[in-house]
Amino acid sequence: MPRKTYDVLIVGSGHSGGMAANVLTSKGISCLMLNAGPVADFERDRVTKAAHELPYRGLGKPGDLEHVFQATEYNANTWVSEKEIPYTHGNQTPYNWVRVRLVGGRSLFWARQSFRLSDYEFKAADHDGVGENWPVSLAEMDPFYSRVERILKVTGRKEGLPQFPDGDFAESQEFPQTEAVKRLTAAAQKQGIAVSRMRSAMGENGLASSINLLLPGALATGKLDIAANAVVREVTLDKNTGLANGVLFVDRHSRQEMEARAKVVVLAAGTLESTRLLLNSKIANSSGLVGRYLFDQQYGCTVVASMPEARDGKAKPGMIGGGVFIPRFRNLDKGAKRNFIRGYALPMGTGSTPDARYFPAYGDELQKKLDSYAGSCIQGGIYGEVLPRFENHARINPGVKDAWGIPVLHVDARYGGNERNMAKDAANTMEELYRDAGFEILVKSDRVHPPGYSIHELGTCRMGKDPRKSVLNEWNRSHDIKNLYVVDGSAFVTGGWQNPTLTILALSMRASEHLADQLRAGEV
Amino acid sequence: MKRRRLLQAIAASPAAAPALLAQGPGSRLGQAGTAPARIATVPAGEAATPAPRFFSPIQLETLRKLAATLMPPLNGNPGAIEAGVPEFLDFLAGSSPAARQKLYRAGLDHLEAEAKRLHAKSFPSLEDGQIDAILKPMLAPWTYDPPADPRKHFLAAARADIRAATLNSREWAAAASSAPSRRRRGGGGTVGLYWLPIDPTRPA
Ligand SMILES: Cc1cc2nc3c(=O)[nH]c(=O)nc-3n(C[C@H](O)[C@H](O)[C@H](O)COP(=O)(O)OP(=O)(O)OC[C@H]3O[C@@H](n4cnc5c(N)ncnc54)[C@H](O)[C@@H]3O)c2cc1C
Repeated sequence: MPRKTYDVLIVGSGHSGGMAANVLTSKGISCLMLNAGPVADFERDRVTKAAHELPYRGLGKPGDLEHVFQATEYNANTWVSEKEIPYTHGNQTPYNWVRVRLVGGRSLFWARQSFRLSDYEFKAADHDGVGENWPVSLAEMDPFYSRVERILKVTGRKEGLPQFPDGDFAESQEFPQTEAVKRLTAAAQKQGIAVSRMRSAMGENGLASSINLLLPGALATGKLDIAANAVVREVTLDKNTGLANGVLFVDRHSRQEMEARAKVVVLAAGTLESTRLLLNSKIANSSGLVGRYLFDQQYGCTVVASMPEARDGKAKPGMIGGGVFIPRFRNLDKGAKRNFIRGYALPMGTGSTPDARYFPAYGDELQKKLDSYAGSCIQGGIYGEVLPRFENHARINPGVKDAWGIPVLHVDARYGGNERNMAKDAANTMEELYRDAGFEILVKSDRVHPPGYSIHELGTCRMGKDPRKSVLNEWNRSHDIKNLYVVDGSAFVTGGWQNPTLTILALSMRASEHLADQLRAGEV
Repeated sequence: MKRRRLLQAIAASPAAAPALLAQGPGSRLGQAGTAPARIATVPAGEAATPAPRFFSPIQLETLRKLAATLMPPLNGNPGAIEAGVPEFLDFLAGSSPAARQKLYRAGLDHLEAEAKRLHAKSFPSLEDGQIDAILKPMLAPWTYDPPADPRKHFLAAARADIRAATLNSREWAAAASSAPSRRRRGGGGTVGLYWLPIDPTRPA
């Protein structure tokens, strides 16, 4: 049977792979997309169930998905099983790797918060002398951000803040300016802290995924084939040219070994899976940096308070509800002197009901507290920048293989003093704001979750102009292999406090247009 | 009979097919409209009671007393005992990794040891006030990371598990549906979309 031939082979069908397919096929380029997992059917694969109908009453199957704090017994079957595809980490250095292998990847379930990076991130080294600059600037990224924002239908309020670049926002309703929100805003402004609101992608029907926004258009061109259940094990090279010529993969059901060929290979398997593929293939690593500089954002540090006037069912309409979003405000001046560099954002919501764990009580006493505090709470957390460090890395663990016989990753990442001092500052700042607003503090914690928890793993194939200091060039193309691209979060140089997906999408769009130009010019 | 006619006759006659294909599928389920009516079943939990097998008898009695204290029946809703929570937690802990098993066993043993030390009695036979005097110092508010002290950690975990297992019980759901106004008080009765295994594959 003659095999179909393709211009580009894309590994992964999430946001990054979906964008690559969308852009390339729109320019008449034929693509084969391989995805490790199956297609989920939102009708057939979901049933309504009461918690008591589940085997563990909704408390979750013990020992399953121990690193996926986001997993519930309801959604357990959507995450990658840690037994089927394990990874390892040190006893004292936990790492939470949160994966989805369905077609669409994590774009099926993401929370859609969408922020641009600013030049405080793209040119971070210029600002404080630490680390590396990106090979791109906000000005270069701006047109791509705008197009992605229009595809995702990102809503937001324009602020004119350099650390929080405005976007091409869809129209949206204003958030309620309740008494609680006004008091928080006033408390922040007293400290010179700018207050904004959340920016998020509306998508279609609350879904801003590759499966509804990117892949249907690509399929409609007739230029895209998607093969599901194709677990890629390595990228193959042409012995004569040293160029990539395809991949080897395993059929997830039959376990038959297969090979696929194309003129160009684009990796979009998610930061750590693309990295694992490169390491297992032993390619594109003349810099020795594949797997290095792994970072994310630190989450977890939390302060919860209550608005006394809103307790015991006394909240009147307009008193509490709605949220505020405080973008980075620390270390914006070049000379700022603190015990940490970079900064964090504070997302805050008001009008929630407290968790029982905040109260040292039980029985009737606990129930009375919960009834009294219901709807009166203010909850804030941290989106904190994590410094990229050479030591924080992922490597192959040759002793452990997954269910397909593919060697797994060992992740070695920890936060340092900069992160700890930043989290302390965030907790103290939230406490001050709450007190100033007249709220009663219920709990305050400056401890953060293990690395990986934010599901924003980044770095490990960073881009740059210097092939000795980076894995990819400024177009997400391997310095070593000129027909190999990596278009997911592994290309990041720094991450700031911002949730990364808008930037992943903008970079993938930009890289794919460049690749299309190269193909047209016969350069690859 | 022509061969084709013979095959048609075999397909049409339910008796003939099994005789010819003795080990073949004996029904015509492949044909549309022939599926038999679904057989009705009841959940095992409605027809039988759990047989605890993880905790020792005294640990289970201690857990019963603890569950009754932390989550008594309130506002007409069932409490942890009515919701079968101690037996459920025996199952949950018994299926859990070693860390949770140790946390629960050591925590329950500690309560019993404290009861013996302070009152020369078993924990389940203590008065309410005596129980409060043991439990209250072990309580600590927390957000994501449970308290580092193993006894406080145990009480934090047990309190959360007992509460969730009560609110998510069949008994709670039944009480809430018989008096919907009660449902709002204390939450519980979660109903949600459950993801079935998606195109599962069998291990090699
Ligand atoms: C619950 C949740 C909430 C989130 N909220 C936000 C948010 O609010 N804002 C934000 O910016 N980000 C958020 N994120 C993160 C966001 O989802 C990711 O940054 C983004 O979707 C990553 O896209 P990707 O294409 O790089 O990777 P993925 O979505 O991981 O896609 C990778 C694909 O590659 C496939 N693949 C992997 N390995 C192989 C292989 N060996 N062979 C073949 N195929 C392979 C997988 O099947 C998968 O489909 C959230 C994530 C989750 C899970």
